[in-house]
Amino acid sequence: MRDGVNLARRDVPAVALVSSEFWAQGEFIARSVGMPDIPRVCFEHPVAGAGVAVMRRVAAAIRDDIVASLAARGVAS
Amino acid sequence: MSVLLEAADEYAALERLHDLGCTDGLPVVVPTPDRVERMVVASGLPGDVSLGTMGPNHGNASIETVAACAVMAGCLPDHLPVVLGAVRAALDPRFDLTELQATTHAIAPFMIVNGPARHACGPIASGFGALGPGFRANASIGRALRLCMINIGGARAGVSDMALLGHSGKFTFCMAEDEESSPFEPLHVALGYDPSASTVTLVGTEAPHSVIFVGDADDPTAPDRLLTTLGLSLATVGANNAHFGGGTGVVVLNPDHAAVLHRAGLDRRSLAEAIWERAANPRSLMARLNPSMVRPPSGADEPFRAFRSPDDLVIIAGGGSGLYSMVLPSWAAGPHANPAVTAVVDLDQACEIPGFAGSA
Repeated sequence: MRDGVNLARRDVPAVALVSSEFWAQGEFIARSVGMPDIPRVCFEHPVAGAGVAVMRRVAAAIRDDIVASLAARGVAS
Repeated sequence: MSVLLEAADEYAALERLHDLGCTDGLPVVVPTPDRVERMVVASGLPGDVSLGTMGPNHGNASIETVAACAVMAGCLPDHLPVVLGAVRAALDPRFDLTELQATTHAIAPFMIVNGPARHACGPIASGFGALGPGFRANASIGRALRLCMINIGGARAGVSDMALLGHSGKFTFCMAEDEESSPFEPLHVALGYDPSASTVTLVGTEAPHSVIFVGDADDPTAPDRLLTTLGLSLATVGANNAHFGGGTGVVVLNPDHAAVLHRAGLDRRSLAEAIWERAANPRSLMARLNPSMVRPPSGADEPFRAFRSPDDLVIIAGGGSGLYSMVLPSWAAGPHANPAVTAVVDLDQACEIPGFAGSA
């Protein structure tokens, strides 16, 4: 989440990918840094060590959300 | 800036604080304006002086807000200089407090007090049971820092403090070095401070791990056995250090164990080098346990050290006389990779508040 914040502060288009277990923390950080609308997409938890097949499925599930988030900021089409 | 809450009585105020998540789960001393003001006066500084902002919530760690947490923790005014020193150390950018508060690792700031403040701000225990219950200064000072991290830094379990389990040192985690029993120079002197100075050193660590060593004055291998046990205990394969090869390790030597090593001709430097050298596992083992982070040996097996340098070991004397010392592995993460940070405890600013304890 903080990586997304730091990139946004440098005007680098970014979407923070936040797992469901850490969504509340992401919300907390977004508020605490004064950027409540920082782009973020939620994905299922956990993915660490889940293997390539799970990673591909998760990536496919959130791909459109990531593109939409960037497109909303005029980055992707 | 503080927020003033209202409640019908002391009991209702305590329940309100619990409900708001402002406590550590245990009862606190209700920080009434009068109590906080007297604690601020004890600091010798104006209440609005800011020590910095505390993450992850970027709250203002002012003298007043820190004093409020010290009151809640049960501190006496005498304890406050150490609390303020600890907050200064925690706010040092090298300490990476924001990341430390937010990590999933079980890490808490372990507080080591050196110099005259051990007596003037306490007594802060350093001997038998110093990390256990029964010592007001240890308990209150360590707890005050934790309550600052909760109420100023905004740490809330599962929301902003993501420790998967945490450990009991997250309630309070403070001791003094037993300088009087130690054959080695005190930690703060080794760090370059004058012996008359007082310091507080913070290291983000796991809970203490007990280290047994049975000495034998007739056994010439005894010092090596002790050094090896300490080193391997620090490099326990469940600790981040063993996998990351970094961070800070803490060793608390009981007086008997310190004497064994001193009689073997070791000083602080050679002691740190000897433990560092032994704080290692075979690279082949670590590569097998964690292939995503540790490369296997390219040729003959080699030691995979748990710490970058002997300078990354903090060694103090403490605890009672007997078979057990302690080691505290650490987190080894964050932008600065979990260094020890030392701050001066300013005893000159503090004011005595007659009758404070009785009226608090």
